[in-house]
Amino acid sequence: MLSANNLRKTIINMAYAGSTVHIGCAFSIVEILLVLYRDFLNYPQQDCTSASRDYLILSKGHGVMAQYACMLEMGWIEQQQLDNYFGDGTDLKGLSDSRVRGLEVTSGSLGHGFSVGIGMAFGAKLKATSQRTYIVVGDGEINEGAIWEGALFASHHQLQNVMVIVDANGFQAMDRTDDVLSLGKIEDKFIAFGFETVCVNGHDELEIKKTIQDLWESTSNKPKAIVAKTTKGKGVTFMEDNNIWHYTRLTPETYSQSISELNRVDK
Amino acid sequence: MRQALSNKLVDMASKNSNLILLTGDHGYALFDEFRKIFPEKYINAGVAEQNMVGMAAGLARVGFFPIVYGLSAFIPIRVLEQIKLDVCHDELPVIFLGDGAGFVYSSLGTSHQSTEDIGVTRSIPFLDIYSPADRFEITAVLDLAESSRNPSYIRIGKSDLGDVHSAPITITKNKLLPINISDSPITFIATGSMVKVAANLSKIFKNANVWSAPCLKPINTELLFDIFQKSKIIVTFEEHNIYGGLGGIIAEISSEIYPLPILRIGVNDCFSKYCGTYQYLLEEHGLNFESIKSKIHSHLEIHQIK
Repeated sequence: MLSANNLRKTIINMAYAGSTVHIGCAFSIVEILLVLYRDFLNYPQQDCTSASRDYLILSKGHGVMAQYACMLEMGWIEQQQLDNYFGDGTDLKGLSDSRVRGLEVTSGSLGHGFSVGIGMAFGAKLKATSQRTYIVVGDGEINEGAIWEGALFASHHQLQNVMVIVDANGFQAMDRTDDVLSLGKIEDKFIAFGFETVCVNGHDELEIKKTIQDLWESTSNKPKAIVAKTTKGKGVTFMEDNNIWHYTRLTPETYSQSISELNRVDK
Repeated sequence: MRQALSNKLVDMASKNSNLILLTGDHGYALFDEFRKIFPEKYINAGVAEQNMVGMAAGLARVGFFPIVYGLSAFIPIRVLEQIKLDVCHDELPVIFLGDGAGFVYSSLGTSHQSTEDIGVTRSIPFLDIYSPADRFEITAVLDLAESSRNPSYIRIGKSDLGDVHSAPITITKNKLLPINISDSPITFIATGSMVKVAANLSKIFKNANVWSAPCLKPINTELLFDIFQKSKIIVTFEEHNIYGGLGGIIAEISSEIYPLPILRIGVNDCFSKYCGTYQYLLEEHGLNFESIKSKIHSHLEIHQIK
């Protein structure tokens, strides 16, 4: 079943199987991806390669485990692939790779997916299709200048078919975003760049859903942006708002603690 | 050559409805005809090259055939990572046109000069690299790049030097093109703007063989093997660093299949120091007729070729 708690359990199991990092980056976008896959992304006949699909660009490729967890629920990848995560000769990498069916871009070098997504949205507009493009970026990622080049283009060309969702978890790799390179109010920046912009609680599924609906119903021809205030590591108390879970691998103890905490939520 | 490029782009767009031309605010007057006929296919993406290349990848993903234009100092140098990751990793059909390669912008300084572009792009998998010498070659390599559907970089250097071929050409299997064929043991292999220089020098050096190399990657090695077998010495010519460019390519291949002494004529791993005309910059870098002539003389003496 597609639920935030199930997705987090899948992520923890995958991270433990592969002894991987980036758990905090994946946890902060769980509700965002859940709402997109469950309520918005159009995949005709559930086909992730359909030419008329909507596009979901995970520009912050570091959160890819959350997307794998969703793709498992969609039936596009097998449980066995997650059980063998990071095994020699396997397909699923630690960052988004477009050679995997269901992933649109190769990202993780930050700022790249954003422009590729803008290009796809621009292409859809030129072809006058009804396809929508969602681009998920990290708040650390928007340090990149290419993001703002793309934002100018989206606004100038009135790409009202594109929605940028900023996972504003307040951290980047080494520290809090405000301590590394102050972003100020992210929403003000997107507004200044010509986006119709709304802030949401990025862990409130209903609020995310309503905001996305409202933005698509807007008659404005502006590109859309959602600044989703999130908590890095959300869902497991000892990981929440603790940046060591950008880099830390699970031990048998932390794995058990995480799973039992997530199981308790189910009860 | 610029007129041929302009005409060819119009011709390609009239036959390929998916073609879309992106420029990073460069190409003054080059696209006038194209813009007049296909205004909707011409996108000035602004002074924002990284985004332009990422977008080109996105457009190619959804079925377009993007041609990305810029100065070779920026396309490919500034956007190398976007070319690698967004375009080449997924083998997307995007053509990059890098104009003004070498010392075309002689008076503007290092920011606009480009003598490292072949070297850095060569090691990107799936990227084909072309370096046409005249209007016939640029037309032919655009055909190759379009029909291959491979990511391609076309390096456009000094474009007003006149033709090296006398009629339209067809390039098969990425082979070198003959400019002058003789019984001489000396073989000149040149690319881009330097083909003309090599042809002029041939008359001084025993009517040396001259080949043009418009396809740098991949490059046909069977023909090279034949050329090496008939030669005692090779001289390569390019308006590019001697590291990583045509000289490097020929030396690598020769060392594997038929070792020969090779003199690499090119930029000696340095930036331009002074301002001046194109001809002045060539002299500064020892790439003018007289300097090259004396380098070849010395080299032939060392290897006792008379």
